[in-house]
Amino acid sequence: MEPAEAELFRLADDEYVLAERYTEWQIYAPTPESDLALANIAQDEFGHARLWYDLLEEEYGYDEPDLLWERDPADFVHSTLVELETPEGDWADTVVRGYLYDAAERLRLEALEDSSFEPIADRVPKVQGEEEYHREHAQSWLDRLTDSADSRERVQAAVDQLFPHAMTLFAPTVDEDEILDAGVRSRSLADLREDWLDEVVPYLDSLGVAVPDPEDVVRPEPLGRDGSHTDDWFDLHDEFTASYRELGFDEPAELRGENA
Amino acid sequence: MSSDACAYTDYEDGEVPTAFPRTGEGATGAEAEVWAALREVEDPEMPVSIVDLGLIYDVSVDGDEARVEMTLTYTGCPAKDMLTNDVRCAALTASGVQVASVSIQYSPPWSVEMVTDAGKEQLREFGLSV
Repeated sequence: MEPAEAELFRLADDEYVLAERYTEWQIYAPTPESDLALANIAQDEFGHARLWYDLLEEEYGYDEPDLLWERDPADFVHSTLVELETPEGDWADTVVRGYLYDAAERLRLEALEDSSFEPIADRVPKVQGEEEYHREHAQSWLDRLTDSADSRERVQAAVDQLFPHAMTLFAPTVDEDEILDAGVRSRSLADLREDWLDEVVPYLDSLGVAVPDPEDVVRPEPLGRDGSHTDDWFDLHDEFTASYRELGFDEPAELRGENA
Repeated sequence: MSSDACAYTDYEDGEVPTAFPRTGEGATGAEAEVWAALREVEDPEMPVSIVDLGLIYDVSVDGDEARVEMTLTYTGCPAKDMLTNDVRCAALTASGVQVASVSIQYSPPWSVEMVTDAGKEQLREFGLSV
């Protein structure tokens, strides 16, 4: 796989799967305002996923069924952070997930601003402009949720659960060396991870939320980036491809009542 | 609750790169005809021409082939396919044009500042504060 192609899959799959999880809150979010805000963020992430998937189509000849509807779920390379099922009604989980993800996303996009692959570099400013609000949203919710002991406990539980999976944001795909050698991304995953820790650990700490020591964290076995995933992903994939399969594009269309 | 709880997003104005927005001023021949046809295409949500919105980045006609480079206000624009098809069909109305292609660009990133004065006037009439 070409290095830029490999980086595009990382970008696109992360955004697409995160957006899928966000949309599950529609009509269930805690307030109408938060429902609209999250729906809007989901639409942004779908838009960004499309930017990157479009490039895979234009530059590498894929089509939409190859990229989403007919692709083997074990070929997706998103981080396990974005695929995990949201515990029912656990808004803190979504807020923490969004925060951990968006902080990493900003750093990754910065490292793509001068990408040797121009079509990526061209799209970065537009995406960064739309991402700023996501971080503002996550942080304003974190500030509120950590304002009382009960809800801070929920945030803490979400951090404990999600932090190990967030580490997989910085796990390499098999093409990582080539991505750096070709200058597609200007910074290594290890560097990005360090900057990310420098940002998220003190911030969560300032809210009274303890972050596990990264060195002591037991990494989840599936890393996402290598195509290994949690069961939650395979269930989600089954759900979002259900309509496509039901439409039966490989079957000739029949009139209603035909062969009845 | 602290006042931080009611934080709002401040939509800062973007910068306008030199030579934008492009409106087809000075275009001649078939290219001028394409620009004129694009003026008739409106944004799907607001009665404003996509040319006045500053969405058209370039028009070129080579022989019987027209190429339009354009952007979208928003990456998640659900009307992308509809809009690009409208643009393609508009370009095909220019005399001598047999083939038209549309490519989407995100650089320079579009901002409200790229809307022409006429476009801003129409947006205000529509009820938007620009």
